[in-house]
Amino acid sequence: MQKKMAYSFPDEVLEQVFSFIQSDKDRNAVSLVCKSWDEIERWCRRKVFIGNCYAVSPRMVIRRFPEVRSIKLKGKPHFADFNLVPDGWGGYVLPWIAEMAGAYPWLEEIRLKRMVVTDESLELIAKSFKNFKVLVLFSCEGFSTDGLAAIAASCKNLRELDLRESEVDDLSGHWLAHFPETCTSLVSLNISCLRSDEVSFSALERLVGRCPNLRSLRLNRAVTLDKIANILRRAPQLVDFGTGYYAAELQPDVFSNLAGAFSSCKELKSLSGFWDVVPAYLPALYSICPRLTSLNLSYATIQSPDLIKLVSHCPRLQRLLVLDYVEDSGLEELASSCKDLQELRVFPSDPFGAEPNVSLTEQGLVAVSLGCPKLRSVLYFCRRMSNAALVTIAQNRPNLTRFRLCIIEPKTPDYLTLEPLDVGFGAIVEHCKDLRRLSLSGLLTDHVFEYIGTYGKKLEMLSVAFAGDSDLGLHHVLSGCESLRKLEIRDCPFGDKALLANAAKLETMRSLWMSSCAVSFGACKLLGQKMPKLNVEVIDETEPPDSRPESCPVDKLYIYRSVAGPRFDMPPFVWTMGEAVRILH
Amino acid sequence: MSEVDMAVIKPEMMKSYIWLQTADGSIQQVEQEVAMFCPMICHEVIQKGMGSSKNYAISLPQRVNPAMLSLILDYCRFHQVPGRSNKERKSFDEKFIRMDTKRLCELTSAADSLQLKPLVDLTSRALARIIEGKSPEEIREIFHLPDDLTEEEKLEPLKNTTDDPRIRLLNRLYAKKRKELKERQKLKNIEVEEERVDDRSVDDLLSFINGDNGDSKGIKNSKSKKKNRRRKDQQKNTSANEAIKNHNKEPNGLNQVCHSAEVGQKVRAGVGATSNLHDVEDDIFDNKNELDDGDIDDEIDPALKEKIDREVEDFARRLNSDWPERMQEILSFGHERKPVHFSLNGNGSLRRYANSEQR
Repeated sequence: MQKKMAYSFPDEVLEQVFSFIQSDKDRNAVSLVCKSWDEIERWCRRKVFIGNCYAVSPRMVIRRFPEVRSIKLKGKPHFADFNLVPDGWGGYVLPWIAEMAGAYPWLEEIRLKRMVVTDESLELIAKSFKNFKVLVLFSCEGFSTDGLAAIAASCKNLRELDLRESEVDDLSGHWLAHFPETCTSLVSLNISCLRSDEVSFSALERLVGRCPNLRSLRLNRAVTLDKIANILRRAPQLVDFGTGYYAAELQPDVFSNLAGAFSSCKELKSLSGFWDVVPAYLPALYSICPRLTSLNLSYATIQSPDLIKLVSHCPRLQRLLVLDYVEDSGLEELASSCKDLQELRVFPSDPFGAEPNVSLTEQGLVAVSLGCPKLRSVLYFCRRMSNAALVTIAQNRPNLTRFRLCIIEPKTPDYLTLEPLDVGFGAIVEHCKDLRRLSLSGLLTDHVFEYIGTYGKKLEMLSVAFAGDSDLGLHHVLSGCESLRKLEIRDCPFGDKALLANAAKLETMRSLWMSSCAVSFGACKLLGQKMPKLNVEVIDETEPPDSRPESCPVDKLYIYRSVAGPRFDMPPFVWTMGEAVRILH
Repeated sequence: MSEVDMAVIKPEMMKSYIWLQTADGSIQQVEQEVAMFCPMICHEVIQKGMGSSKNYAISLPQRVNPAMLSLILDYCRFHQVPGRSNKERKSFDEKFIRMDTKRLCELTSAADSLQLKPLVDLTSRALARIIEGKSPEEIREIFHLPDDLTEEEKLEPLKNTTDDPRIRLLNRLYAKKRKELKERQKLKNIEVEEERVDDRSVDDLLSFINGDNGDSKGIKNSKSKKKNRRRKDQQKNTSANEAIKNHNKEPNGLNQVCHSAEVGQKVRAGVGATSNLHDVEDDIFDNKNELDDGDIDDEIDPALKEKIDREVEDFARRLNSDWPERMQEILSFGHERKPVHFSLNGNGSLRRYANSEQR
């Protein structure tokens, strides 16, 4: 075989080429090509995404990528959203900020998801990065409005401050006033998660008024309906707007003021907020509905007829989040009006009720799957489902990439045949060849996992609860799903065997969560000993796992690959299994 | 007519050509407006007065061979005409860029040496598109690059210096833990200790392996019962309430809404020791000598480990999985792995784990 001469480039040329390669996946591939490419690539890497903050240490990242301007970190596992991860588990961002403060003085962007952020961290950010522009805290906690005040005051070029779904200690609404009068750079401001009733509205108005590039503004509940018009008139260039309370006594002048303000926003494409909606005010939106592509009504307790009317005005809708008040009839209307729909999320209005309070069944979803040819992403809460419906949905919509079905009562069978829903979900994975994310519910045996292992070749994330009969189920998934990155399981009879037989697979995944399953403490220890590139964490809030026999199942298990070794910031109820460090606590 | 005569008769015509020499020695003349489109040539002409005749031909960088020069000049010839529309230019570029990867690389290099930024951009983007979506192996194949990264470099190895502050902290925490375990052990010894029995009998395990799924369904963790408790304080407002807060966190199809919502409210059982790192500082110097007898064996019981190994093997064989390979992998981790973890000896000094001791 003739040895071929490498196509050589000067470094600057390669850098130029790499500057057009932006996706993380491609950058990672580039850095694995050869030594010289790796070397060049690392010096010109500006954006880093770290899907698990414990998979690597800040120092390692800094050593490898010395010129980073933008970082994205994720902390707690997804099941933290369901209160399955105890408080204090971890996910602290301060060590990262502390290291980056010294190493990346020109850092511009920090995006965090499910991490614990303290006021100290925020103050450090404000102090350390002179050109700081973007702060996104998605589902974070641990900080207060004092920390926000520091950011507001110090970051002269702040473009984005997005606190979506975070828990903020709302000490005072006056933090907004810390934005200096000279701050005009804001492009995006999302304070929808703030609970306090006292938002300094005048400070907000002034801020909005002096930022001509503001494109996205999401207010919190405290902002009343009559104030919306004032805000909108100061920012008619908005593309994305989140209202506060959308309720008030119907007054004609308020209504017409509001309608006028909305109609002056010619670029507005996305709406959210809508706490406590008074339906009579919905027509104020009609002027912008024809342009709307995204509508989040997941807090709006409006009934189906009003929803139908609204939705029928939005033919360009691509994304809809709504409560199950929409009912089957509303979804049928959606299916006929909104042919561009790509994403649908239907949330339960009364999840704890024993009986259904609304007429929302599998029919609604079937209708949408039939009527909306571009539908790709579904999150659907309902109380009954059938295999036939699932098969129909799968056949109608093979282009689905995300399918998350939540039948509210665990182990609910097919309501027509009383059989498990294996066949239905099997059809989903078989037909939807690009399916990347799947959540299962209802009565399911090992068979469904056989289907998933056989067909789910592109599946990256799988969520399972109250399903399966034996280790076979888990084995099918671990051995069959080649693209699997995240697997989260609760209350399933999966034990040691499948886990140990597929131990090597775990190193190819980001993480595995198992709670209330049947994995024994002994197996956890074995795994921890034999797999040094994995952190095997046992979580138990009631007592240490070694106070029971080794064959006893552990309460919660979180396994993730890491090149940073075991972490050192664990609370007392988390134990890392390992070779040399044994039961590290 | 000789060249010189031509020069006398039509000076303008002669002046409108620039002389260029490529690295192989060959010289050619190029229309001035075309050549001057390249900043490097422009610089040579204006700053150094070169290129006006054969003898003063501009020496082009080595990366510009005659073939590449020809391509570049085609590009320049087209784009230097001012009247063209954007659409025309774009169309030309799209056709122009269609060539094999090798030429594309050469062209990028050549354009870069002539500082012709628009062409560098064009070719770089084309190369980027070739690279996107490909695996490292594929990229290596296309560009004939060596596979010279070591496994370690690919993985970013762990640091294992003994004075890594994390190791020190680790030792302190470990010391504290040992102390606690010892104390608990003392307390337990006072009570009558119940015999620890493996709850599952060997029969159960064998029947599982032989395909009787009966008992596996019934596996109930006593803890799972807690999750079925209904929350007492149901905030059942129709407006903003906990239920919506939970769904706001985008729950997926998991019944968390019913069952784990209350888990979040569950009061954490009083876990005594707070991992207050500052307290631990005091421990290490006091405890160093106390650790002599503290070699609590929390290693998995070898007999049980054997049993688990056997079961896993049987299970895998039953499933026709590639057990021997996997087992090899798992076992080999134990042997090849570089010892990067440390542990405390009985006397508190660090020692590395030699893997053979494990089994």
